[in-house]
Amino acid sequence: MQIHIHRDGKTAGPYSLEQVRQMLATGQVQANDLAHHAGLASWTLLSQVLSAVTPPPIPTAPAASASRDDGPRDMEFAVECRPDFAFLTVQVPAGQTLKVEASAMATMSSNMVMKTKMRGGLSRFLTGESLFLNEFTAGGGPGEIGIAPGSPGDLEHVHLNGDTIFLQSSGFVASGMGVQVDSKWQGFKGFFSGEALFLIRCTGQGDLWFNTFGAMIPIDVTGDYVVDTGHIVAFTEGLQYEIGRIGGLKSLFFSGEGLVCRFRGQGRVWIQTRQLPSFAWWTYPFRPTKD
Amino acid sequence: MNIQIVQGPGNAAARIGLQPGESITTEGGAMIAMSSTLHVETTTRKRDSGSIMGALKRLVTGESIFLNHYTAQGQFGEVFLAPTLPGDMLRHDLNGAPILVQAGSYVASTPSVDMDIRWQGFGKALFSGESWFLIELSGEGTVVLSSFGAIYPLEVNGEHIVDTGHIVAFESTLKYNVVKAGGSWMTAILGGEGLVCKFQGQGTVWCQSHNARSFGQALGPMLKPR
Repeated sequence: MQIHIHRDGKTAGPYSLEQVRQMLATGQVQANDLAHHAGLASWTLLSQVLSAVTPPPIPTAPAASASRDDGPRDMEFAVECRPDFAFLTVQVPAGQTLKVEASAMATMSSNMVMKTKMRGGLSRFLTGESLFLNEFTAGGGPGEIGIAPGSPGDLEHVHLNGDTIFLQSSGFVASGMGVQVDSKWQGFKGFFSGEALFLIRCTGQGDLWFNTFGAMIPIDVTGDYVVDTGHIVAFTEGLQYEIGRIGGLKSLFFSGEGLVCRFRGQGRVWIQTRQLPSFAWWTYPFRPTKD
Repeated sequence: MNIQIVQGPGNAAARIGLQPGESITTEGGAMIAMSSTLHVETTTRKRDSGSIMGALKRLVTGESIFLNHYTAQGQFGEVFLAPTLPGDMLRHDLNGAPILVQAGSYVASTPSVDMDIRWQGFGKALFSGESWFLIELSGEGTVVLSSFGAIYPLEVNGEHIVDTGHIVAFESTLKYNVVKAGGSWMTAILGGEGLVCKFQGQGTVWCQSHNARSFGQALGPMLKPR
């Protein structure tokens, strides 16, 4: 990009983006000088020009082997071995209960009492999830539970405060009792794909943990963002979403990109860097033949 | 253009930040998320060069015949790319020094990078049931590659042998010759080493810690017959 700078009644340049950044750092130009480059309708403040071309930082801070989350929470917890083998340990106060995805409990203190609950009835059955969530209650004192999701991957915590998060059907790991876990069939929007997008709706008050296959990247959406449907992990309510394709007619058939979900509005989407169905398909040529 | 490899080495993704007017060419199917403002175009060959033959060759190599081009138009945009298998990714600046890339490891390249297919040991490949094709990337610009497992550079000075299943890419300054691992086809096949690549000269070979085909073969017998 070639940038011209207008300063003290004189126009100078063109400079490269890198040169302009250096000149700004050394004080040769000021953030409130006017700048122009091809494609810009009029002279604009240099600060605005730079912010338009400077990539926003990736919100993820992959702190190895530790949780990046030190925000609000009801229960103390730790996430270790991120982002490839995330493992969750929750400290459950005496008498309190945690909902956990069936079969995800790996270790627990002996005073934890397990109860199996059927949740969400038929609709939960439709999500393809196991019908059961287990409830673990710390009896007679505080307890600890170690939770390992079925697939190796990353894990994220959010604290719901009356807000709602949609999870991809196998994304639920655990939550506090104040979080309602309902499935919401995505319906015909995903019908043509053969990979109908089933969602779990988590709403209410409390801790929520969800997981991925592969690493997790949070993306803050302002406006529009496109995510391959197989790579959606979770998103905040308020974002509108629509299943579609990318590109023109040729891309429709030949791009190799399956269905995408177009998010619109303001909110956050968590994506995963790998997806299980593609991995499963990759094994196909290695499977034995019938005869 | 800003190219970052994030979340490596286990399940890496590449984040490509595109300034207005910039574009990136990717392998079909590599996109996992992107700004909706990016313009997407699918071609059967590299833009501005190449031919139908080029596309056919790409088909034979097992690489998808189609390439996607993502272009930022009026404003900054980003695209995240990732391969299917777990592993790391590599960002490499060519600086005029061509490299040869194992077909399955190609993820993306900047538009100034030229792409061509090198046929490799076709007869041998048929014989051993192992196909091995290379994409030659040359010119100025940046390429993004992926590996199954971790990726590590190996400096060759003289002679060195690498199993074809462990090669991600190598500098074209190296002479290479695909040969059987043992003295005879029998030892090559029974020994499980199949084909190896004998490098001669001076240059870098980027290796992957794991062999996808071996992993598939370890997994296969446990899966339902197709």
